[in-house]
Amino acid sequence: MNTESRVTTTLAEMRNVSKWFGPVMALNGVNLEIGSGITGLVGPNGAGKTTLLRLLTGQIKTSLGGIDVCGRDAWSARAKDHIGLCPFGDATWDELSGRKLMRVTAGMRGFTGAEARRRAESVLETVGMAKRADRPVRTYSKGMRQRIKLGQALVHDPDLLVLDEPLNGVDPVGCEELNDLFRTLAAQGKAVLVSSHILHEMDQLADRILFICRGKLLASGSLAEIRDMLDDHPLKVRISCGSPRCIAPQLLMLESVKSVSIEPPSDLLLEVQNPSRFYAEFGEFAAGNDAQVQRLKATDTSTEAVFDYLMERAARPE
Amino acid sequence: MLVLLALAVLITYLWSLPKPWHPDTRTAAELARQIVLPLYMGFLLPVICLGYASAAIADERTGETLVYLLTTNIPRPLVYLSKYAAALLLTLGMTLGGLAALCLVPGKIGLEALGIFWTVTACATAAYVGLFLLFSAWVRRATFLALAYALMIETLTGNIPGVVKRITVSFYAKSWLYESGEPIDLAPGGVVLGLFDPVTAATAQWVLGLASVGFVALGMWIFSRKEYD
Repeated sequence: MNTESRVTTTLAEMRNVSKWFGPVMALNGVNLEIGSGITGLVGPNGAGKTTLLRLLTGQIKTSLGGIDVCGRDAWSARAKDHIGLCPFGDATWDELSGRKLMRVTAGMRGFTGAEARRRAESVLETVGMAKRADRPVRTYSKGMRQRIKLGQALVHDPDLLVLDEPLNGVDPVGCEELNDLFRTLAAQGKAVLVSSHILHEMDQLADRILFICRGKLLASGSLAEIRDMLDDHPLKVRISCGSPRCIAPQLLMLESVKSVSIEPPSDLLLEVQNPSRFYAEFGEFAAGNDAQVQRLKATDTSTEAVFDYLMERAARPE
Repeated sequence: MLVLLALAVLITYLWSLPKPWHPDTRTAAELARQIVLPLYMGFLLPVICLGYASAAIADERTGETLVYLLTTNIPRPLVYLSKYAAALLLTLGMTLGGLAALCLVPGKIGLEALGIFWTVTACATAAYVGLFLLFSAWVRRATFLALAYALMIETLTGNIPGVVKRITVSFYAKSWLYESGEPIDLAPGGVVLGLFDPVTAATAQWVLGLASVGFVALGMWIFSRKEYD
């Protein structure tokens, strides 16, 4: 299921990509584009997320199909100029200090001398580790390691940033800081691909979401667009108003409303078939009636809810 | 590795001390035949080489840091070549340093042996490092494979009569040494030499050189194509 929203500037593209390890098919005919902005990659364990990330960062080759990053084959060294990876594992060269590690990483990316030092300092500042960078990495907490790994991914100013569970182990304040950083990078035109199993992280963070399950891409697009396309799961809308019993029959008259139930004392729970149409119809209704609407909230538009619906749909026999 | 070297130096020192049953001063030929050839060339050299070279890539894999090397913009063959250069430099430091320590412990007699052994040691190190780094690029537990190779192939096969031992690095190192060690009468006599059936020093040099290049080239090819987990 691909929604109509096309990515603005395509930085990475997968064309009919399949990958199998012996008899196990890890990815099956995946087509997707990743553009500037934040893209979330969501799926259960064993869905193929890690395989997709490893393919995209040129660690493994496709069995079928092709992957381009900034116009170059993802396997090639040239493509890796444009990719920054923050892997899931905590491992890095622990015996080095954070500052030294950053300079070494800059060196591995071809920057030497003053430029390597400048980049290292700039990145340490960006990830909030400048004041703690002289300690050996082995003494860092999990959250600090995440920041240092993120710095390693950013040191060469990549166009595509691939982050595997980047908020894992980071405290809530740190999460918010890092999310702000991701948004800033996305606003600069970079593509940020974030894999996460914590679905609610994606609600506010991702511009687009890739739902993946059993090696197949179930859906891609913005959360709202994907939700709209789930016809078999009417949108659930909760309305808090002054006189629910009065307006319930009138709401039922709207074409987009499938059912209405009253939840005392002041709530109505609606099942809506076509969300965009409903919002238009409800706007007119609320303006023309004294409905005293205090709150209107769609209750199943979260990443988690959409993911559950998609999984349910995928599990159904064809 | 340093412990093994220190132990070897201690053995050499004890060997060099005058004893009631051997009151004469030791000669360079004795040092070469009784200590450097069996203890160093036959055991320590491959062990030192495998210690550093087999861990070069395998440790990055087990430590999960290989991902950083594989996702840089450095082409994989160059990453491998850099690993080889680094492992070779480190190992040469250890092997040549160890050889020097071993030869200089007994005093002046060791200088002559050192002059004969150091070039062979350097070339054999290059070949061993190439081979063990190839193992490292190929399998996860490269140290076990390298250890099995060093003990089974180099030690056992390298000492049996016939042509099978020509697949070992030590055969060519010894062949070279027997020729270059003529001034101190290093080669064994008569039947033993006949059974060993050495090649000429020139052939040994070519084989060791080509083997080093071949191992590195094969390792680069494997490393540039392999999908590491």
